[in-house]
Amino acid sequence: MDLYGKMATQDNKQKENADQNFDYMFKLLIIGNSSVGKTSFLFRYADDTFTSAFVSTVGIDFKVKTAYKNDKQIKLQIWDTAGQERYRTITTAYYRGAMGFILMYDITNEESFAAVQDWATQIKTYSWDNAQVILAANKCDMEEERIVSVDSGRLLAEQLGFEFFETSAKDNINVKQTFERLVDIICDKMSDTLEADPSVATGGPTSRLTDNPMPPQQSDCGC
Amino acid sequence: MNQADLQNESKTSIFRTIWCKPNKVASLNLIRLFGDCIQAASSRTKDYLLFRDPESKFHPSPSTLSEIFLMTYIQRSSQLNLTNIFNCTAMTPEQRILLGAHWVWAVLDHPSKNPRIQIAVQVFHLQEREEENLEELHLDVYSKIMHMAGMEVVNGTQAERMVGFCSSIGRDCYALFLFFGRKNDEGNIYGLLSNNLQAAVGKCVRIDQTFIEHFFKGAKCFVTPSGMLQALVGKEGDDPLTMLVKFT
Ligand SMILES: Nc1nc2c(ncn2[C@@H]2O[C@H](COP(=O)(O)OP(=O)(O)OP(=O)(O)O)[C@@H](O)[C@H]2O)c(=O)[nH]1
Ligand SMILES: [Mg+2]
Repeated sequence: MDLYGKMATQDNKQKENADQNFDYMFKLLIIGNSSVGKTSFLFRYADDTFTSAFVSTVGIDFKVKTAYKNDKQIKLQIWDTAGQERYRTITTAYYRGAMGFILMYDITNEESFAAVQDWATQIKTYSWDNAQVILAANKCDMEEERIVSVDSGRLLAEQLGFEFFETSAKDNINVKQTFERLVDIICDKMSDTLEADPSVATGGPTSRLTDNPMPPQQSDCGC
Repeated sequence: MNQADLQNESKTSIFRTIWCKPNKVASLNLIRLFGDCIQAASSRTKDYLLFRDPESKFHPSPSTLSEIFLMTYIQRSSQLNLTNIFNCTAMTPEQRILLGAHWVWAVLDHPSKNPRIQIAVQVFHLQEREEENLEELHLDVYSKIMHMAGMEVVNGTQAERMVGFCSSIGRDCYALFLFFGRKNDEGNIYGLLSNNLQAAVGKCVRIDQTFIEHFFKGAKCFVTPSGMLQALVGKEGDDPLTMLVKFT
């Protein structure tokens, strides 16, 4: 879009942010303690880059990336939240209307794992009931420094009713898979909900995913 | 004074040195180094603000000028090793729209390296004043992003968004509006720093460049950038604080 192009000159990618050509729009959030690797994970997925320098995110940021499923273009608006406590007011405001979350901890950092329960509670408190969550155990390339075992991660995910992936933004392990799986379970959930209650297709913060979708539009319901 | 008193006296003074000095030295150091970085950034930017091309071919854009300031600042601060105690995070284009800030400075706590005090910075340029539609352009892009996110669009200026962002963090996050040149004073850089502008939001005023310029009407006293940082570092409690700063 021209508007955006003018503002953020030089960066053609910005155009994607405002481009209206898509079948569905999903809003996703990445949450978890500071330094677990949320920003790195998003950079790996969206730009296929990684830097070892740590620049803690200020407040909130986002990127747009298009995914494809059954010939449909799904535009993902992916919000990268700051893990630091001081930004909690601003980050939780963005939970509203999110269809999926990647809740991340760092396998070398006990504290980040202990905080998973709290983050899950935040999701319950600030987002809608049907939001799908994947628990991502990041930095799985650092096997020697591992403190949280795969089993305890998987067990916790089961207890919380989340799917589970061990990931590495650094070595590009399960990054794309995590996003694709999240998109899949959001789609599954949507068609379930549609079958159970067709009325949700016209309301609620969800997108419809039927064989004959409505023409793309940008509205509050995102589809 | 007897022997025991003397001993006691020296003991307490040892304790005093142990407790107080590192902190004081650290913050004195910080303030000096920050002043140095700002001096470098401001004077280089000033050169370009005052630059007049005899052939009128060069007109550095507002964003170029901000970048010159920021690049010079970043370069100097990494030369001086300032970044361990005081960092500078440049915002992405997306963050600039969402949060209204161009960059954010932070005094870091030791050893957690978490921000203790933050200064969110937005730059105003003389040229832009007349361009009313720039604000509309910002709002338009912002509305689109928020619509897509299924969130409420709060109408407001970029300045208001930054003020809102700062107040969502708390009194230890300050908004700093930098003026790269003012009317009849094109070469100098001024700033308004405050953690209290939220008080004006929603009071039938529009917080924008024109509004903030009013703070400078008749002002004679400006603090230096070092003085500004000193005031923030030395401040205790949650009191509001607003000051005018001259950077050049
Ligand atoms: N070895 C390894 N390091 C990683 C991995 N992912 C991230 N890191 C490093 O971990 C540090 C923190 O990464 P970030 O992505 O900035 O962390 P964050 O979760 O966004 O942190 P906040 O923005 O403060 O919430 C950086 O130094 C990264 O290089 C990974 O998969 N493996
Ligand atoms: Mg981050």
